[in-house]
Amino acid sequence: MTAAPSWGAVALCTVFVVLAVGLAHARRLALTRELLWAAARAALQLAAVGAVLGAVFSVAGVPGSLAWVGAMVVLAGQVAGYRGRGLHRARLLATVAIAVGSTATLGLLLAIGVIEPVPQAVVPLGGMIVSGSMQAATLSLRQVRTAIDEARPAIEARLCLGLSARQAFAPHTRSAARTALIPAIDATKVVGLISLPGAMTGLILAGVAPLTAVRYQIIVMYMLLGTNTIAAVLTTYLAQFTAFDAAHRLRPTQAPEE
Amino acid sequence: MPFSMTDVGFDRKGTPLLDGIDADVGQGRLTVVTGPSGAGKSTLLRLLNRLADPTRGHLAFNGRPLHEFDVLALRRRVVLVAQHPVLLTDDVAAELRVGRPDLDPADAADLLGRVGLPEELLHRPTAGLSGGQAQRLCLARALALQPEALLLDEPTSALDWAAAEVVLDLARTLTAAGTSVVAVSHDRRWVRAADSALVLDGGRLVEHGPPESLDYLPEGA
Repeated sequence: MTAAPSWGAVALCTVFVVLAVGLAHARRLALTRELLWAAARAALQLAAVGAVLGAVFSVAGVPGSLAWVGAMVVLAGQVAGYRGRGLHRARLLATVAIAVGSTATLGLLLAIGVIEPVPQAVVPLGGMIVSGSMQAATLSLRQVRTAIDEARPAIEARLCLGLSARQAFAPHTRSAARTALIPAIDATKVVGLISLPGAMTGLILAGVAPLTAVRYQIIVMYMLLGTNTIAAVLTTYLAQFTAFDAAHRLRPTQAPEE
Repeated sequence: MPFSMTDVGFDRKGTPLLDGIDADVGQGRLTVVTGPSGAGKSTLLRLLNRLADPTRGHLAFNGRPLHEFDVLALRRRVVLVAQHPVLLTDDVAAELRVGRPDLDPADAADLLGRVGLPEELLHRPTAGLSGGQAQRLCLARALALQPEALLLDEPTSALDWAAAEVVLDLARTLTAAGTSVVAVSHDRRWVRAADSALVLDGGRLVEHGPPESLDYLPEGA
């Protein structure tokens, strides 16, 4: 195993931040403050997360890890819901989709014994799963929002012919889910060719044999495909209930997009 | 009375778009809703098939409050054709079947004839249709449902003189057969042909009666 970098080595790497700041300053990019703030924030956030994870691993055990993942689901639901704002109950929709997608994927990984029920596996993989679900839910909500804004006349034309809300919205539900899944599918297609993914890079840096690291990575990619698809399909499916009222009418979308 | 409106009002974001509308629409009659732009004419049509519900007042269809009907069944009996045609499928035959999946080809060809479109269009893609053809196809698509009442929003706005005459004749034929037609129009021919006209201005009903009794006559055509 290669030696882990010391805090001194981390401190030395601030030279890259100094370099970036210097270059930005010389080119008058007006980014000095932002670069410094981003660098400081990253260090503080990661230090805090590292400390909390250390505590979770040593004290809280599996229940604590699952609670941690649960908290991530709630936070991810808020973030995705914010992106879908203007849609009726966007936050609830996103939270449910992310929760179901994450629970199903993580639950299945544990149930079939692919990962051990230990905090060191549940927390990082749970984080990846929640993050994948959040991306899919966010993109789905944005696609639904675009469909409602742009295809309102077509949706209403179907409603005027006596079609139900579900029937009138079905073509848009499908295309929203398809579009939302493109990034996940593309990332899966080119994995390893364009860049080595984070989990695999980490394992190789930590001295694990590449073919072992690859096994982890394949599991990660497959679980992300699963969780993204569940979240996208569920978000767009649920949107058809929240986008219409009981009289099969499209609700107005609120607050214009930024 | 197919439709009776009692003190109907509709607000959007606190602004009244319609207010105090009292009117009846007769069975098998051509009722034309006219008035200046922004008067609330299209909004009134949307209330009749429950694409919107009135904020105030009562709306009844065949003597029964509109909201008591199953809304999907109501929209198949009271069909609205929007002003701007939106085609939903790739070819003309499929378009006619959107609301009537069981429509047979002979009936589909007959529908095209009724709106003045040639039967040969039946197997054409919808992408190549002109605005006027699309508008008439949307009308034929609505007729496929054999509605009791037809709500037409500016039904001839994209049509030339001759095609507009075909559609106006169709409206008369439909009413003669017992279908109630409510048409929003700026076209004088529609107002003159109406059994009854409603003139809206600023969301209020300012005139209501046979067209020859109106002070208001639209400027169009």
